[in-house]
Amino acid sequence: MRIVAGLDTPTVGRVLLDGIPVVGPGADRGMVFQSYTLFPWLNVKENICFGLREKREPQTQQDEIAAHYVAKVGLASFEHHYPKMLSGGMQQRTAIARALANDPKILLLDEPFGALDNQTRGLMQELLLSIWESERKTVLFVTHDIEEAIFMANRVVVMTARPGRVKTDVPIPLSHPRHYTVKTSPEFSELKRRLTEEIRSEVLKVAALV
Amino acid sequence: MIPLKPVSAQRKVALGLAFFVLFVAAWSLATFGGFVSKTFLADPITMVKEGYALFAQHGFAKDVGITIWRVVGGFVLAAALAVPLGIAMGAYKPIEAFFEPFVSFARYLPASAFIPLLILWAGIGEMQKLLVIFIGSFFQIVLMVAVSVGATRRDLIEAAYTLGADARGVVRRVMLPNSSPAIAESLRLVLGWAWTYVIVAELIGASSGIGHMITDSQALLNTGQIIFGIIVIGIIGLISDFLFKWANHALFPWSLA
Repeated sequence: MRIVAGLDTPTVGRVLLDGIPVVGPGADRGMVFQSYTLFPWLNVKENICFGLREKREPQTQQDEIAAHYVAKVGLASFEHHYPKMLSGGMQQRTAIARALANDPKILLLDEPFGALDNQTRGLMQELLLSIWESERKTVLFVTHDIEEAIFMANRVVVMTARPGRVKTDVPIPLSHPRHYTVKTSPEFSELKRRLTEEIRSEVLKVAALV
Repeated sequence: MIPLKPVSAQRKVALGLAFFVLFVAAWSLATFGGFVSKTFLADPITMVKEGYALFAQHGFAKDVGITIWRVVGGFVLAAALAVPLGIAMGAYKPIEAFFEPFVSFARYLPASAFIPLLILWAGIGEMQKLLVIFIGSFFQIVLMVAVSVGATRRDLIEAAYTLGADARGVVRRVMLPNSSPAIAESLRLVLGWAWTYVIVAELIGASSGIGHMITDSQALLNTGQIIFGIIVIGIIGLISDFLFKWANHALFPWSLA
Protein backbone atom coordinates (compact mmCIF):
# COMPACT_ATOMS: atom_id res chain seq x y z
CA MET A 1 0.00 0.00 0.00
CA ARG A 2 2.83 2.42 0.85
CA ILE A 3 4.44 1.67 -2.51
CA VAL A 4 1.19 2.43 -4.34
CA ALA A 5 0.97 5.69 -2.39
CA GLY A 6 4.56 6.48 -3.44
CA LEU A 7 5.74 6.72 0.17
CA ASP A 8 8.11 3.75 -0.28
CA THR A 9 10.08 2.74 -3.38
CA PRO A 10 9.93 -0.86 -4.62
CA THR A 11 13.17 -2.86 -4.85
CA VAL A 12 11.84 -4.60 -7.97
CA GLY A 13 8.80 -4.04 -10.18
CA ARG A 14 6.72 -0.92 -10.59
CA VAL A 15 3.25 0.44 -10.00
CA LEU A 16 1.19 1.83 -12.88
CA LEU A 17 -1.84 4.07 -12.44
CA ASP A 18 -3.75 4.47 -15.73
CA GLY A 19 -0.56 3.41 -17.49
CA ILE A 20 1.59 6.04 -15.79
CA PRO A 21 4.32 4.79 -13.43
CA VAL A 22 4.12 5.94 -9.82
CA VAL A 23 7.34 7.73 -8.82
CA GLY A 24 6.29 9.53 -5.64
CA PRO A 25 3.31 10.51 -3.56
CA GLY A 26 0.64 12.60 -5.27
CA ALA A 27 -2.87 13.93 -5.07
CA ASP A 28 -4.16 11.33 -7.55
CA ARG A 29 -3.84 8.64 -4.86
CA GLY A 30 -5.72 9.68 -1.74
CA MET A 31 -4.83 7.81 1.43
CA VAL A 32 -6.44 7.21 4.80
CA PHE A 33 -4.08 5.85 7.45
CA GLN A 34 -4.74 3.58 10.41
CA SER A 35 -3.35 6.18 12.80
CA TYR A 36 -5.25 9.43 13.18
CA THR A 37 -3.56 11.85 10.79
CA LEU A 38 -5.82 14.88 10.82
CA PHE A 39 -3.79 18.08 11.18
CA PRO A 40 -4.48 19.06 14.80
CA TRP A 41 -4.14 22.82 14.14
CA LEU A 42 -6.85 22.78 11.46
CA ASN A 43 -10.56 22.31 12.12
CA VAL A 44 -12.65 19.72 10.27
CA LYS A 45 -13.40 21.99 7.34
CA GLU A 46 -9.81 23.24 6.99
CA ASN A 47 -8.56 19.67 7.13
CA ILE A 48 -10.88 18.71 4.28
CA CYS A 49 -9.70 21.76 2.28
CA PHE A 50 -5.98 20.97 2.78
CA GLY A 51 -5.49 19.35 -0.62
CA LEU A 52 -7.75 21.89 -2.35
CA ARG A 53 -5.67 24.76 -0.95
CA GLU A 54 -2.55 23.01 -2.19
CA LYS A 55 -4.14 22.95 -5.67
CA ARG A 56 -5.03 26.65 -5.29
CA GLU A 57 -8.76 26.05 -5.86
CA PRO A 58 -10.77 29.29 -5.49
CA GLN A 59 -12.29 29.76 -2.03
CA THR A 60 -15.91 29.44 -3.18
CA GLN A 61 -15.08 26.13 -4.86
CA GLN A 62 -13.36 24.93 -1.68
CA ASP A 63 -16.36 25.85 0.47
CA GLU A 64 -18.69 24.02 -1.88
CA ILE A 65 -16.62 20.82 -2.01
CA ALA A 66 -16.02 20.85 1.76
CA ALA A 67 -19.73 21.30 2.48
CA HIS A 68 -20.55 18.41 0.16
CA TYR A 69 -18.18 15.95 1.84
CA VAL A 70 -18.81 17.17 5.38
CA ALA A 71 -22.49 16.35 4.81
CA LYS A 72 -21.60 13.04 3.19
CA VAL A 73 -19.70 11.80 6.24
CA GLY A 74 -22.36 13.18 8.59
CA LEU A 75 -20.28 15.90 10.26
CA ALA A 76 -22.24 18.96 9.12
CA SER A 77 -22.46 20.47 12.62
CA PHE A 78 -18.80 19.75 13.42
CA GLU A 79 -17.16 21.79 10.64
CA HIS A 80 -15.42 24.12 13.09
CA HIS A 81 -14.32 21.53 15.62
CA TYR A 82 -10.64 20.72 16.08
CA PRO A 83 -9.59 17.05 15.80
CA LYS A 84 -8.95 16.81 19.56
CA MET A 85 -12.65 17.42 20.19
CA LEU A 86 -13.71 14.51 17.93
CA SER A 87 -14.08 10.81 18.62
CA GLY A 88 -11.93 8.30 16.74
CA GLY A 89 -14.75 7.45 14.35
CA MET A 90 -15.39 11.11 13.58
CA GLN A 91 -11.69 11.68 12.94
CA GLN A 92 -11.53 8.82 10.46
CA ARG A 93 -14.70 10.09 8.74
CA THR A 94 -13.03 13.47 8.36
CA ALA A 95 -9.91 11.76 7.01
CA ILE A 96 -12.02 9.95 4.39
CA ALA A 97 -13.73 13.23 3.45
CA ARG A 98 -10.32 14.91 3.21
CA ALA A 99 -9.04 12.22 0.83
CA LEU A 100 -12.22 12.26 -1.29
CA ALA A 101 -12.36 16.07 -1.53
CA ASN A 102 -9.16 15.92 -3.57
CA ASP A 103 -11.00 13.79 -6.16
CA PRO A 104 -8.23 11.14 -6.41
CA LYS A 105 -8.25 8.45 -9.10
CA ILE A 106 -7.91 5.80 -6.42
CA LEU A 107 -8.52 5.78 -2.69
CA LEU A 108 -6.03 3.88 -0.52
CA LEU A 109 -7.36 2.79 2.86
CA ASP A 110 -4.80 1.26 5.22
CA GLU A 111 -6.83 -0.42 7.98
CA PRO A 112 -8.70 2.83 8.51
CA PHE A 113 -11.09 1.36 11.07
CA GLY A 114 -8.49 -0.79 12.85
CA ALA A 115 -8.38 1.42 15.96
CA LEU A 116 -12.16 1.76 16.31
CA ASP A 117 -14.46 -0.27 18.54
CA ASN A 118 -16.56 -2.99 16.95
CA GLN A 119 -19.88 -1.10 16.88
CA THR A 120 -18.37 2.06 15.41
CA ARG A 121 -16.46 0.00 12.90
CA GLY A 122 -19.70 -1.60 11.66
CA LEU A 123 -21.29 1.82 11.17
CA MET A 124 -18.18 3.15 9.42
CA GLN A 125 -18.24 0.23 7.00
CA GLU A 126 -21.84 0.99 6.08
CA LEU A 127 -21.07 4.68 5.67
CA LEU A 128 -18.05 4.03 3.45
CA LEU A 129 -20.02 1.50 1.42
CA SER A 130 -22.84 3.98 0.82
CA ILE A 131 -20.28 6.63 -0.24
CA TRP A 132 -18.72 4.13 -2.61
CA GLU A 133 -22.12 3.20 -4.03
CA SER A 134 -22.72 6.86 -4.93
CA GLU A 135 -19.17 7.76 -6.09
CA ARG A 136 -17.97 4.46 -7.58
CA LYS A 137 -14.31 5.29 -7.01
CA THR A 138 -11.68 2.54 -7.06
CA VAL A 139 -10.71 1.69 -3.48
CA LEU A 140 -7.75 -0.37 -2.32
CA PHE A 141 -8.55 -1.44 1.23
CA VAL A 142 -6.14 -3.29 3.53
CA THR A 143 -7.66 -5.13 6.47
CA HIS A 144 -7.09 -8.11 8.77
CA ASP A 145 -10.82 -8.47 9.33
CA ILE A 146 -12.29 -11.10 7.01
CA GLU A 147 -15.89 -9.97 7.56
CA GLU A 148 -14.91 -6.40 6.79
CA ALA A 149 -13.16 -7.54 3.60
CA ILE A 150 -16.18 -9.47 2.31
CA PHE A 151 -18.71 -6.84 3.29
CA MET A 152 -16.81 -3.96 1.66
CA ALA A 153 -15.19 -5.50 -1.39
CA ASN A 154 -15.95 -6.70 -4.90
CA ARG A 155 -12.66 -8.59 -4.91
CA VAL A 156 -10.73 -9.94 -1.96
CA VAL A 157 -7.03 -10.54 -2.56
CA VAL A 158 -5.38 -12.78 0.03
CA MET A 159 -1.68 -12.18 0.63
CA THR A 160 0.82 -14.78 1.79
CA ALA A 161 2.79 -14.23 4.96
CA ARG A 162 6.45 -13.26 4.48
CA PRO A 163 7.19 -12.71 1.67
CA GLY A 164 3.89 -10.93 1.04
CA ARG A 165 2.71 -12.22 -2.33
CA VAL A 166 -0.74 -12.52 -3.84
CA LYS A 167 -2.14 -15.90 -2.86
CA THR A 168 -5.69 -15.89 -4.16
CA ASP A 169 -8.06 -13.42 -5.76
CA VAL A 170 -11.65 -14.11 -4.70
CA PRO A 171 -14.52 -12.25 -6.42
CA ILE A 172 -17.35 -11.23 -4.08
CA PRO A 173 -20.63 -11.59 -6.02
CA LEU A 174 -22.86 -9.92 -3.37
CA SER A 175 -25.10 -7.33 -5.02
CA HIS A 176 -25.20 -3.59 -4.32
CA PRO A 177 -26.56 -1.74 -2.43
CA ARG A 178 -25.49 -3.95 0.41
CA HIS A 179 -27.33 -3.94 3.69
CA TYR A 180 -25.61 -4.95 6.94
CA THR A 181 -27.93 -7.95 7.21
CA VAL A 182 -26.02 -9.51 4.30
CA LYS A 183 -23.41 -10.46 6.92
CA THR A 184 -25.71 -13.20 8.18
CA SER A 185 -26.65 -14.60 4.73
CA PRO A 186 -25.53 -18.13 3.62
CA GLU A 187 -23.42 -16.79 0.67
CA PHE A 188 -21.59 -14.53 3.11
CA SER A 189 -20.91 -17.42 5.48
CA GLU A 190 -19.60 -19.56 2.65
CA LEU A 191 -17.19 -16.81 1.51
CA LYS A 192 -16.08 -16.30 5.07
CA ARG A 193 -15.44 -20.02 5.51
CA ARG A 194 -13.33 -20.14 2.38
CA LEU A 195 -11.27 -17.02 3.18
CA THR A 196 -10.77 -18.13 6.76
CA GLU A 197 -9.16 -21.35 5.50
CA GLU A 198 -6.93 -19.43 3.06
CA ILE A 199 -5.69 -17.11 5.77
CA ARG A 200 -5.43 -19.68 8.54
CA SER A 201 -2.72 -21.61 6.73
CA GLU A 202 -0.72 -18.38 6.41
CA VAL A 203 -1.15 -17.50 10.05
CA LEU A 204 0.00 -20.97 11.04
CA LYS A 205 3.10 -20.52 8.90
CA VAL A 206 4.00 -17.29 10.67
CA ALA A 207 3.41 -18.84 14.07
CA ALA A 208 5.74 -21.67 12.90
CA LEU A 209 3.27 -24.27 14.03
CA VAL A 210 3.30 -26.21 10.74
CA MET B 1 -3.28 12.58 48.91
CA ILE B 2 -3.95 10.59 45.75
CA PRO B 3 -1.32 10.77 42.96
CA LEU B 4 -2.25 13.06 40.03
CA LYS B 5 -5.65 13.93 41.51
CA PRO B 6 -6.32 17.56 40.47
CA VAL B 7 -6.97 20.35 43.00
CA SER B 8 -9.73 22.94 42.61
CA ALA B 9 -8.76 26.37 41.23
CA GLN B 10 -9.43 28.07 44.58
CA ARG B 11 -7.32 25.62 46.57
CA LYS B 12 -4.55 25.90 44.01
CA VAL B 13 -4.34 29.68 44.47
CA ALA B 14 -4.61 29.34 48.27
CA LEU B 15 -1.80 26.77 48.39
CA GLY B 16 0.41 28.85 46.08
CA LEU B 17 -0.08 31.95 48.24
CA ALA B 18 0.44 29.97 51.42
CA PHE B 19 4.03 29.25 50.49
CA PHE B 20 4.77 32.95 49.91
CA VAL B 21 3.26 33.75 53.31
CA LEU B 22 5.30 31.02 54.97
CA PHE B 23 8.46 32.23 53.23
CA VAL B 24 8.01 35.83 54.40
CA ALA B 25 7.11 34.59 57.88
CA ALA B 26 10.34 32.59 58.11
CA TRP B 27 12.29 35.58 56.81
CA SER B 28 10.64 37.87 59.40
CA LEU B 29 11.39 35.42 62.18
CA ALA B 30 15.04 35.22 61.17
CA THR B 31 15.48 39.01 60.96
CA PHE B 32 13.11 40.44 63.61
CA GLY B 33 13.97 37.63 65.99
CA GLY B 34 17.60 38.74 65.81
CA PHE B 35 18.90 35.41 64.52
CA VAL B 36 20.62 37.04 61.54
CA SER B 37 22.61 40.28 61.64
CA LYS B 38 21.04 43.26 59.81
CA THR B 39 24.29 43.75 57.93
CA PHE B 40 23.78 40.49 56.10
CA LEU B 41 20.02 40.32 55.70
CA ALA B 42 17.54 43.18 55.87
CA ASP B 43 14.11 42.53 57.36
CA PRO B 44 11.03 42.62 55.07
CA ILE B 45 9.84 46.04 56.22
CA THR B 46 13.24 47.67 55.64
CA MET B 47 13.32 46.01 52.26
CA VAL B 48 9.95 47.53 51.29
CA LYS B 49 11.01 50.97 52.58
CA GLU B 50 14.27 50.80 50.64
CA GLY B 51 12.37 49.75 47.59
CA TYR B 52 10.04 52.72 47.91
CA ALA B 53 13.05 55.00 48.33
CA LEU B 54 14.64 53.51 45.22
CA PHE B 55 11.66 54.44 43.09
CA ALA B 56 10.93 57.78 44.82
CA GLN B 57 14.45 59.18 45.18
CA HIS B 58 16.87 57.25 43.01
CA GLY B 59 14.89 56.97 39.75
CA PHE B 60 14.88 53.17 39.88
CA ALA B 61 12.05 53.03 37.36
CA LYS B 62 14.52 54.14 34.70
CA ASP B 63 16.90 51.31 35.65
CA VAL B 64 14.08 48.79 35.41
CA GLY B 65 13.09 50.20 32.02
CA ILE B 66 16.64 49.99 30.67
CA THR B 67 17.06 46.41 31.88
CA ILE B 68 13.78 45.35 30.27
CA TRP B 69 14.80 47.08 27.06
CA ARG B 70 18.13 45.21 27.00
CA VAL B 71 16.56 41.82 27.62
CA VAL B 72 13.82 42.30 25.06
CA GLY B 73 16.24 43.80 22.51
CA GLY B 74 18.85 41.05 22.80
CA PHE B 75 16.23 38.34 22.96
CA VAL B 76 14.24 39.56 19.95
CA LEU B 77 17.46 39.89 17.94
CA ALA B 78 18.49 36.33 18.87
CA ALA B 79 15.01 34.89 18.20
CA ALA B 80 14.68 36.67 14.84
CA LEU B 81 17.81 34.91 13.57
CA ALA B 82 17.67 31.68 15.56
CA VAL B 83 14.08 30.63 14.81
CA PRO B 84 14.46 30.58 10.99
CA LEU B 85 17.83 28.80 11.28
CA GLY B 86 16.33 26.27 13.69
CA ILE B 87 13.43 25.62 11.34
CA ALA B 88 15.78 25.10 8.39
CA MET B 89 17.91 22.71 10.48
CA GLY B 90 14.91 20.77 11.74
CA ALA B 91 13.44 20.38 8.27
CA TYR B 92 16.54 19.77 6.14
CA LYS B 93 19.02 17.19 7.36
CA PRO B 94 22.08 18.44 5.39
CA ILE B 95 21.66 21.90 6.93
CA GLU B 96 21.38 20.27 10.32
CA ALA B 97 24.51 18.19 9.72
CA PHE B 98 26.36 21.39 8.76
CA PHE B 99 25.40 23.54 11.76
CA GLU B 100 24.45 21.13 14.53
CA PRO B 101 27.94 20.16 15.80
CA PHE B 102 29.02 23.80 16.05
CA VAL B 103 25.79 24.97 17.65
CA SER B 104 25.93 22.14 20.20
CA PHE B 105 29.46 23.20 21.08
CA ALA B 106 28.62 26.91 21.19
CA ARG B 107 25.65 26.22 23.43
CA TYR B 108 27.99 25.27 26.26
CA LEU B 109 30.11 28.41 25.98
CA PRO B 110 29.01 30.43 29.01
CA ALA B 111 27.63 33.81 27.95
CA SER B 112 29.00 35.43 31.09
CA ALA B 113 32.55 34.35 30.20
CA PHE B 114 32.28 36.41 27.02
CA ILE B 115 31.70 39.63 28.95
CA PRO B 116 35.40 40.63 29.24
CA LEU B 117 35.90 39.89 25.55
CA LEU B 118 32.76 41.75 24.56
CA ILE B 119 33.81 44.78 26.62
CA LEU B 120 37.04 44.73 24.63
CA TRP B 121 35.16 44.51 21.33
CA ALA B 122 32.06 46.57 21.94
CA GLY B 123 32.92 48.77 24.90
CA ILE B 124 30.58 49.07 27.87
CA GLY B 125 27.67 50.53 25.91
CA GLU B 126 24.34 49.00 25.05
CA MET B 127 25.78 46.89 22.24
CA GLN B 128 27.81 44.86 24.71
CA LYS B 129 24.73 44.07 26.87
CA LEU B 130 22.70 43.07 23.84
CA LEU B 131 25.50 40.81 22.63
CA VAL B 132 25.74 38.99 25.97
CA ILE B 133 22.04 38.18 25.82
CA PHE B 134 22.31 37.33 22.15
CA ILE B 135 25.12 34.82 22.73
CA GLY B 136 23.31 33.35 25.70
CA SER B 137 20.00 32.90 23.86
CA PHE B 138 20.82 32.33 20.19
CA PHE B 139 22.34 28.84 20.31
CA GLN B 140 19.79 27.58 22.80
CA ILE B 141 16.89 28.73 20.64
CA VAL B 142 18.43 27.25 17.47
CA LEU B 143 18.77 23.80 19.00
CA MET B 144 15.39 23.73 20.70
CA VAL B 145 13.59 24.90 17.56
CA ALA B 146 15.47 22.40 15.39
CA VAL B 147 14.52 19.55 17.73
CA SER B 148 10.83 20.48 17.83
CA VAL B 149 10.58 20.96 14.06
CA GLY B 150 12.45 17.70 13.46
CA ALA B 151 10.07 15.87 15.79
CA THR B 152 7.07 16.46 13.51
CA ARG B 153 5.01 13.26 13.29
CA ARG B 154 5.99 11.29 10.18
CA ASP B 155 2.43 10.21 9.44
CA LEU B 156 1.24 13.83 9.28
CA ILE B 157 3.97 14.59 6.74
CA GLU B 158 3.02 11.52 4.72
CA ALA B 159 -0.66 12.48 4.85
CA ALA B 160 0.27 15.90 3.46
CA TYR B 161 2.24 14.29 0.63
CA THR B 162 -0.69 12.06 -0.34
CA LEU B 163 -2.86 15.20 -0.41
CA GLY B 164 -0.60 16.72 -3.06
CA ALA B 165 1.75 18.88 -0.96
CA ASP B 166 5.34 19.33 -2.23
CA ALA B 167 8.45 19.57 -0.05
CA ARG B 168 8.01 23.30 0.54
CA GLY B 169 4.32 22.87 1.29
CA VAL B 170 5.14 20.24 3.89
CA VAL B 171 7.55 22.58 5.68
CA ARG B 172 5.22 25.58 5.48
CA ARG B 173 1.87 23.93 6.09
CA VAL B 174 2.73 20.95 8.30
CA MET B 175 6.09 21.24 10.09
CA LEU B 176 5.71 24.94 10.94
CA PRO B 177 2.17 24.96 12.34
CA ASN B 178 2.76 21.62 14.04
CA SER B 179 5.81 22.85 15.96
CA SER B 180 4.74 26.45 16.65
CA PRO B 181 3.46 25.74 20.18
CA ALA B 182 6.74 23.99 21.01
CA ILE B 183 8.72 26.89 19.48
CA ALA B 184 6.74 29.39 21.57
CA GLU B 185 7.40 27.28 24.65
CA SER B 186 11.16 27.23 23.92
CA LEU B 187 11.15 31.02 23.55
CA ARG B 188 9.41 31.33 26.90
CA LEU B 189 12.09 29.20 28.58
CA VAL B 190 15.01 30.99 26.94
CA LEU B 191 13.57 34.39 27.84
CA GLY B 192 13.78 33.27 31.46
CA TRP B 193 17.49 32.51 31.02
CA ALA B 194 18.05 35.84 29.23
CA TRP B 195 17.06 37.53 32.50
CA THR B 196 20.00 35.98 34.32
CA TYR B 197 22.41 37.00 31.55
CA VAL B 198 21.33 40.64 31.60
CA ILE B 199 21.92 40.96 35.33
CA VAL B 200 25.36 39.40 35.01
CA ALA B 201 26.16 41.80 32.18
CA GLU B 202 24.99 44.71 34.30
CA LEU B 203 26.98 43.62 37.35
CA ILE B 204 30.16 44.15 35.34
CA GLY B 205 30.79 47.45 33.63
CA ALA B 206 27.37 49.09 33.54
CA SER B 207 26.19 52.52 34.65
CA SER B 208 22.48 51.77 34.69
CA GLY B 209 20.03 48.91 35.05
CA ILE B 210 18.88 46.66 37.90
CA GLY B 211 22.20 44.80 38.01
CA HIS B 212 24.09 48.07 38.33
CA MET B 213 21.86 49.14 41.21
CA ILE B 214 22.59 45.84 42.94
CA THR B 215 26.39 46.34 42.69
CA ASP B 216 26.00 49.90 43.98
CA SER B 217 23.97 48.69 46.95
CA GLN B 218 26.55 46.05 47.70
CA ALA B 219 29.19 48.77 48.08
CA LEU B 220 26.89 50.50 50.61
CA LEU B 221 26.03 47.21 52.38
CA ASN B 222 22.37 47.96 51.68
CA THR B 223 20.97 44.44 51.66
CA GLY B 224 17.41 45.79 51.62
CA GLN B 225 17.97 47.30 48.18
CA ILE B 226 19.73 44.21 46.88
CA ILE B 227 16.85 41.97 47.92
CA PHE B 228 14.35 44.44 46.52
CA GLY B 229 16.21 44.42 43.19
CA ILE B 230 16.21 40.63 43.08
CA ILE B 231 12.50 40.53 43.86
CA VAL B 232 11.76 43.07 41.11
CA ILE B 233 13.55 40.81 38.62
CA GLY B 234 11.47 37.87 39.86
CA ILE B 235 8.24 39.80 39.45
CA ILE B 236 9.09 41.00 35.93
CA GLY B 237 10.04 37.43 35.03
CA LEU B 238 6.72 36.18 36.38
CA ILE B 239 4.82 38.81 34.36
CA SER B 240 6.64 38.00 31.11
CA ASP B 241 6.05 34.31 31.72
CA PHE B 242 2.38 34.94 32.28
CA LEU B 243 2.13 37.04 29.11
CA PHE B 244 3.84 34.30 27.09
CA LYS B 245 1.52 31.61 28.45
CA TRP B 246 -1.50 33.77 27.79
CA ALA B 247 -0.33 34.45 24.21
CA ASN B 248 0.21 30.71 23.64
CA HIS B 249 -3.31 29.97 24.82
CA ALA B 250 -4.69 32.63 22.50
CA LEU B 251 -2.57 31.64 19.49
CA PHE B 252 -2.77 27.85 19.71
CA PRO B 253 -6.19 26.91 21.08
CA TRP B 254 -6.02 23.61 19.15
CA SER B 255 -3.08 22.29 21.15
CA LEU B 256 -4.95 22.55 24.46
CA ALA B 257 -8.56 21.72 23.60
